[in-house]
Amino acid sequence: MRPERRDRFRDLEPLLGKVSHPARYLNHEWGAVEDQPGPFHVCMIYPDVYEVGQPNLGIAILYNELNKVEGISCERSYLPWYDMGDLMREHGVPLLSLEASAPVASFDMVGFTLAHELVASNIVETLDLAGIAIRADERDEEDAIVVAGGPSAWNCEPVSPMFDAVLLGDGEEGIVDMARCVRDCRAQGVSRSDILLALSRVQGVYVPSLYDVVVDETSTEEGYAVPKPGSGVPEVVLKRCLQDFAASDPVPQKMVPYMGIVQDRLAMEVLRGCARGCRFCQAGMTYRPVRERNADQIVEGTLRGLELTGNDEVSLTSLSTTDHSQCALVLNRLTSELNDRGIRVSIPSQRLDSFGVDMAAAVSSGRRGGLTFAPEAGTQRLRDVINKNVTEENLEAAARNAFENGWRRCKLYFMMGLPTETDEDILAITAAAKKVLEIGREVVGRGYKSGVQVSISVAVFVPKAFTPFQWCGQLNTEEVRRRQQLMLHSAKDRDIRISYHDANVSVLEAVLSKLGRRGFDLIMAAWKRGCRFDAWTNEFKFDEWVAAGEEVGIDFGEIAWRDLPLDARLPWDHTSPGISKGFLKREWRRALAGVTTEDCTFATCAGCGVCPSLGVENVIAEGHRG
Amino acid sequence: MANEQQYRLRVRYGKDGRLAYLGHLEVLHTIDSSIRRSRLPFSVGNGFARRMRVQFSQALPVGASSKAEYYDLVLTEPIEPEVALERLRASTPSALAPTKAAYVERRAPALEAWLTRSDWHAELEGTGITAEALDAAIAAVAETGAIHYMRGEKPKVADLTRTLVSWQCAQSGDVVELSLQTRSSNEGALRPAILIDAAFSAAPLAGAQLAALRVTREMQAHEEGARLVNPFDENLVISLT
Repeated sequence: MRPERRDRFRDLEPLLGKVSHPARYLNHEWGAVEDQPGPFHVCMIYPDVYEVGQPNLGIAILYNELNKVEGISCERSYLPWYDMGDLMREHGVPLLSLEASAPVASFDMVGFTLAHELVASNIVETLDLAGIAIRADERDEEDAIVVAGGPSAWNCEPVSPMFDAVLLGDGEEGIVDMARCVRDCRAQGVSRSDILLALSRVQGVYVPSLYDVVVDETSTEEGYAVPKPGSGVPEVVLKRCLQDFAASDPVPQKMVPYMGIVQDRLAMEVLRGCARGCRFCQAGMTYRPVRERNADQIVEGTLRGLELTGNDEVSLTSLSTTDHSQCALVLNRLTSELNDRGIRVSIPSQRLDSFGVDMAAAVSSGRRGGLTFAPEAGTQRLRDVINKNVTEENLEAAARNAFENGWRRCKLYFMMGLPTETDEDILAITAAAKKVLEIGREVVGRGYKSGVQVSISVAVFVPKAFTPFQWCGQLNTEEVRRRQQLMLHSAKDRDIRISYHDANVSVLEAVLSKLGRRGFDLIMAAWKRGCRFDAWTNEFKFDEWVAAGEEVGIDFGEIAWRDLPLDARLPWDHTSPGISKGFLKREWRRALAGVTTEDCTFATCAGCGVCPSLGVENVIAEGHRG
Repeated sequence: MANEQQYRLRVRYGKDGRLAYLGHLEVLHTIDSSIRRSRLPFSVGNGFARRMRVQFSQALPVGASSKAEYYDLVLTEPIEPEVALERLRASTPSALAPTKAAYVERRAPALEAWLTRSDWHAELEGTGITAEALDAAIAAVAETGAIHYMRGEKPKVADLTRTLVSWQCAQSGDVVELSLQTRSSNEGALRPAILIDAAFSAAPLAGAQLAALRVTREMQAHEEGARLVNPFDENLVISLT
């Protein structure tokens, strides 16, 4: 039964003095919407601790959109850290929302952000602490409708049994439609099953309980999902897409946390989508088409956002900021406005080919920390396989540009275990780092005092749904470790720092990326064994996950490392970001042949299928790129 | 900036309600963004990090409220103190709202080391606690001259001969009220909760159980011989005209 909605901060307050970082639970931050009249109440949850979840732009966007609607109020909640979670259970205090300190279970609708695969066990923990039935099919008529969305909704099958509905694609319009749908149904006294049916009619909404999983000779053992007979739900649920992205509020993040958070800065989403076509990149495939805001909107929005929040840094975020057709103009205008005020303008990792001299000069007029580039692979051959259309010359030019403009530290992102990778590709990673270091020493000078340093960060490739590499197996752990050692031993210079991911974490990511709905049994078994906060290095318990797999008959190696047949029906085929399977297969074949595919915002249409299937198109502020 | 004018605005603020649970760095962070939102013309340092020129008084323990915290903010224009105060009030969460502002000498000593005296008010609730017993327990602790305690995993010592100035206990219904005067120095400060914890281990409070503790800093001052100098003392405050 749904608990009463009332302020329970008094129950939480005595626990604050006993936990680490009580600021996580204080609420009433500057910019929070404290007035929550409802009468329809939604709670958005990021299933990790406050400082990790609060910077999430997705939740900020949905929070604003919902609170704008007459009659709908939206609050936030995060997963308490172990100490607080234990105390809350001990004292009978359920998970509360931040704004009104009301039990999360008392809300009409509860929404989760699926930020990445490793939040799975935290979602179970969050529902359990809230006192909401973990499985959607165990919820009562009046219980909250639990929904989800976000980047990891592309293959949401392993977590889908926990959700009444999943929103695919851009959320700003879809979440409002979902809330209105539930509100109207509740007002009409409609049954829970009919609410779910009504939700399935909202574009972009996938209702897992209305699909059966079938395993047959056309599929792998993960099966595929088909509409339940008579349900009338679509065979394939197409994502929502916000065509007029530029019309949306450029400053969704208006809240100022009391405590330090992981990205403590104003985030300005300058564009959405990326059509570069990197074949490993799920976001690049699922966020299409490309939609840019124009320079005026970005500059005006940034200045307004800084006034509202008092932040001392702004980050121009997107999947590929330097590709923005007015990037240099925006950077110049912002740095000339903000430099005297001690406000820093930053951009996330840059593409080597689009980081121009003009941009380097503009960014470098603020504080200069490290600069990050993502070549992803060491050799040209492998970069062609993954369609990372950058060259050795691009890397050298970008590095020289950075060092000449005052940077001393350079970070390079690479991946290991990419399809067709050989030892030569691994050795080329450290060779690239040495080359960049050499350029730095040549420009800045040699010796310790020059401060020139190159860091390389090497992640293990995880094959993701809706990418041309979705059929690939992951490189097995033993071979990953051998290649990591090979890389480590090939870089002797103390000014080259190497960091690489724990291979076991990547295995779990691959398993959760590839499993079908039966993956939920694994998640539950792992949670019962104490797994949570799996994205935290010190909290990750791989042995428990493997033991949970043995308990439910899931062999990690078999799932993560095997290739899938190109013609098999896949567990995520009934959801679609608009990209055609034919395009993905073609890209896979081109990858094996080492043939690259151009970005349609610079060249002609590559035929991915997104524009015709969604009725959308690229929007470039300057009219053209390049 | 090389030739900019600099005006040192001293601001008193409180810490109240649930924000008592903010840590010192969190308070600094919150006030930093509040100052930026106020759009006052603050001065920015010339270091690598280009930080705002602002200095705070000593850290208040997490969980303690206060009526008397301070920061000195360097402005580049002589904004009327009342105007500056109003703008800061409008841009700061109400539980950290500024209550007074005035200009002080640019070269006045830094607040953190200069404010050496604090007055505290604590309210204790629980079973077996009386004003007499608490008074006797604190006296017993004071007698030992020092408190040895753990802060996280680090052993610490509070030297009571330097840091504990005086205390008074009073009964108010079921609540025992403690007024406490402490002194800080480079060697350290005495946090009321540490003294109270130690008192509960002393014989006069044997068997007593503390259920709730509310601590408020009432006053901070500079100790100059026998005289306590207020941060807004008339000899410190300067007029713009």
